[in-house]
Amino acid sequence: MTLLDVDGLEKEFGGLLAIDDLSLSVDRGELVGVMGPNGAGKSTLFNCISGVVEPTAGTVAFDGEDVTGEQPEVLARRGLVRTFQHTRQLDTMTVRENVRLAAPNQPGERTVPALTRSQGMQETERRVVERADELIEAFELDHLADEYASNLSGGQRKLLELARVLMLDPDLLLLDEPFAGVNPTLTNEIADRIRELNDEGMTVVVIEHELETLTALVDRLVVLTQGSVLVDGDPETVLDDERVVEAYLGE
Amino acid sequence: MSVADRLPEGDAERAALLGLGLIAFALAFAASPLTAIIPTGLSVFFEVGVLFVVYGILVLGLDLQYGHTGLVNFGHVVFFAVGGYTVAILAAQNSFSGTSLGYPWPLALVAGVITAGVVGAIVGATSLRLRDDFLAIATLAAAEIFHSVTVNVQGIFGGSTGILSIPRPIRTAAGDYDTMMIVTLVLFSGLTALTYAGLTRLTDAPYGRVLRAIRADELVTRSVGKSVFTYKMQAFVYGAALAGFAGGIFALYNGALSPEFFTIQVTVTVWIGMLLGGASNHRAVLGGLAVIMGLRLFSRFANDAVPVTATEFASLRLIAIGMILVLVIRYRPAGIWGDPDELGVDS
Amino acid sequence: MGLAQNIVFGLVTGSYIAIAAIGFTLIYGIVDMINFAYGEYLTIGAFVGFLAAGLLPLPAAVLVAMVGGGVVSLALAWLFFTPINETGPVPMLLTSIGLGLVLRNVIRIFAGGSARYYDTTTETFRTQGIPEVPVGSFDLVGDVYVTSEHLVVVGCAVAVFLVIHGLLTRTDVGIAMRAMGDSEDLARVRGIDTQFIRNSVWILAGVLAGLAGVLVGIQTNVNVTTGYAHILQILAAAILGGAGSPYGAIAGAYVIGIVVALSTAFLPSHMTGLSSAMAFVVLVAVLLVKPSGIAGAEVREA
Repeated sequence: MTLLDVDGLEKEFGGLLAIDDLSLSVDRGELVGVMGPNGAGKSTLFNCISGVVEPTAGTVAFDGEDVTGEQPEVLARRGLVRTFQHTRQLDTMTVRENVRLAAPNQPGERTVPALTRSQGMQETERRVVERADELIEAFELDHLADEYASNLSGGQRKLLELARVLMLDPDLLLLDEPFAGVNPTLTNEIADRIRELNDEGMTVVVIEHELETLTALVDRLVVLTQGSVLVDGDPETVLDDERVVEAYLGE
Repeated sequence: MSVADRLPEGDAERAALLGLGLIAFALAFAASPLTAIIPTGLSVFFEVGVLFVVYGILVLGLDLQYGHTGLVNFGHVVFFAVGGYTVAILAAQNSFSGTSLGYPWPLALVAGVITAGVVGAIVGATSLRLRDDFLAIATLAAAEIFHSVTVNVQGIFGGSTGILSIPRPIRTAAGDYDTMMIVTLVLFSGLTALTYAGLTRLTDAPYGRVLRAIRADELVTRSVGKSVFTYKMQAFVYGAALAGFAGGIFALYNGALSPEFFTIQVTVTVWIGMLLGGASNHRAVLGGLAVIMGLRLFSRFANDAVPVTATEFASLRLIAIGMILVLVIRYRPAGIWGDPDELGVDS
Repeated sequence: MGLAQNIVFGLVTGSYIAIAAIGFTLIYGIVDMINFAYGEYLTIGAFVGFLAAGLLPLPAAVLVAMVGGGVVSLALAWLFFTPINETGPVPMLLTSIGLGLVLRNVIRIFAGGSARYYDTTTETFRTQGIPEVPVGSFDLVGDVYVTSEHLVVVGCAVAVFLVIHGLLTRTDVGIAMRAMGDSEDLARVRGIDTQFIRNSVWILAGVLAGLAGVLVGIQTNVNVTTGYAHILQILAAAILGGAGSPYGAIAGAYVIGIVVALSTAFLPSHMTGLSSAMAFVVLVAVLLVKPSGIAGAEVREA
């Protein structure tokens, strides 16, 4: 069952072709890794899929429907959720607020229920608070729950981001360099959690530079170079492939 | 606000009660045959006081836009002006200059709020996608354009003279000047308290969470499924509508309007008040505004004592205000009562 | 008065706006801030030039004003802007708004509210016999006149354009400025001393503001609001031309100048005050339609 289908994707930035005829499909339940040298187009690919930029050509289909160029918020509500490399995120909010924010369908986020404090609104907020606390505990951030996100370490921020996106209960999770700047112990922890999520049925695509962890984690590896797919297969075969070694050495 | 686990009861509710209480008292007092006398020399407190609570509504609306949502609106006075002039034109009877249509004032007030909101929607729809500093310039330009229009399109707006003979319902009810001033101050304070209550209620709810997330990082907020542009528009329109309301009640108090009440000075005063107090904290911004207005009050007294001409004194006051803005941004960007973590600044 | 005459006026206005807009846009592109106190730099230039003109011949006074402008600009930057360089465009914009308020009122205290006039002898040159070509209630062409002041303003502007072009293309400092305008990070990597270049931009912008201020003063008069009255036109010109691009700023300035002059012609007589609002309308239109302006410079949109 194909969950994500990228077909003939192209993205041009001022004369430069960042993505060049890229086709890729991901089935439900897969755990796919995306790697490639700098400038290969990994982040741009995520940006095109998640609606952050609009591709110049090609289509993106999610769960059978064409979502090319859709707004990020629409995709997130549909179950296509991504994380970001940068950690300059919701720094002026506490860990608790960060996680509670992401809960979908909150009546309290609309003007009238917020002003009237309707029953439905209070109920939902109670549930949101509970679920958020659960996730914060699960990621062992509870001792930091009332800290501002700006005071967290790099690794803790990655955990926070994961907790946050899980509030949305995504069907497809795109992780953009989840191990960047994280110490080895935490890296293993995050990798374990990703595998857990995948075991429970979540489809995950991971971009990473940290090749050791990535290749040990995923079932399938896609190598990008110069904006298109070079090799796509299981980790061992891919890493043995001559072309992959060349692509990395040539960078 | 960010530490309590439950939805905080209390602050907004207390403000609402206070507001309703003040309004009830003011209306009762106005309706009764009782009158009051303000000791001479103290009337200036009442005048500045009324201006303070009217500007208070402005600063609260701006705080919703900037303090909470991060929208740099440097043309806030335009909504104040649109609301004021709408009420003036609709309600004034036989004004010497400009257009006056003589409709009942409650109708005019509602129209003023709606018009200001609509203008807010237009400005918002066109400008909210701009980068911060460009949004500031676009809003500032909008305010200057409207100012220029009010000065030059004399047939409608009355030019420099403005609109006169606006009904003054409080004056009519109260009878004499002193009673009117007291009633106005109490009534408007009540209205400001209600505004505070409503906005606090809104921002303490998950709604406020989304606004603050937008201020922190729009893209991340969108990526968790929130329609950021819709919220920006709402914050902008609510702030504009509130400013329009402030303009309307100001017109009904002053009885006359002219462009000089709606210069960039108003925007600057409100901004400095907000930054000085501490943006995104409703109480703090009112406090900051109080300090600025207090300076204005102080300078009125001091001017009598010091052998300096009035214009020179006004200039000294403006220099002080400008320096306060510069110093606050440099040395205390979170303001007196603001939370640096909340605003993402060094303290 | 034919439209041709209005265009002449537009070219004159455009000329001194262009000089100021170049400085303004360089500050935007390289120091990364909208300097709302820039109008006051013009006013200071106008006053310094006026005071100097009482002691020196006019050309020397102009030079004094330019030097004064450069010094003041650098001093103000060192005191107020450079220390907060890292805080971002909004705090810097707000600081410049506060600073502008302070400067205007300091000037008002020292100079009072009345206008001063430069002591110049004006010669007027008129054309004769050009047909009026009436269209409706307007004369398309008609005889035009230019004053010697007009010629001085336009002449200075052209001289400035040539000097700036030379500076940006042939000198190390100028080339470094362009590099920084494109990408500060890249410039730093290439070994450019970014603070030194910023200081150079402040000086240059101050010099240009001083010159523009004197020219406005000669054209009209010198008073407290001389510069502030033009800040929005300068801003409009810079953004119209593509924020950060000096060449765009020149083009933008002339467009603004002519738009304002023509709207004065077309507006009913009691509404001519609206003509300066036209600059803001153009500004808003540009911001909404194409914020990157004529030169399509590197403006980042939200």
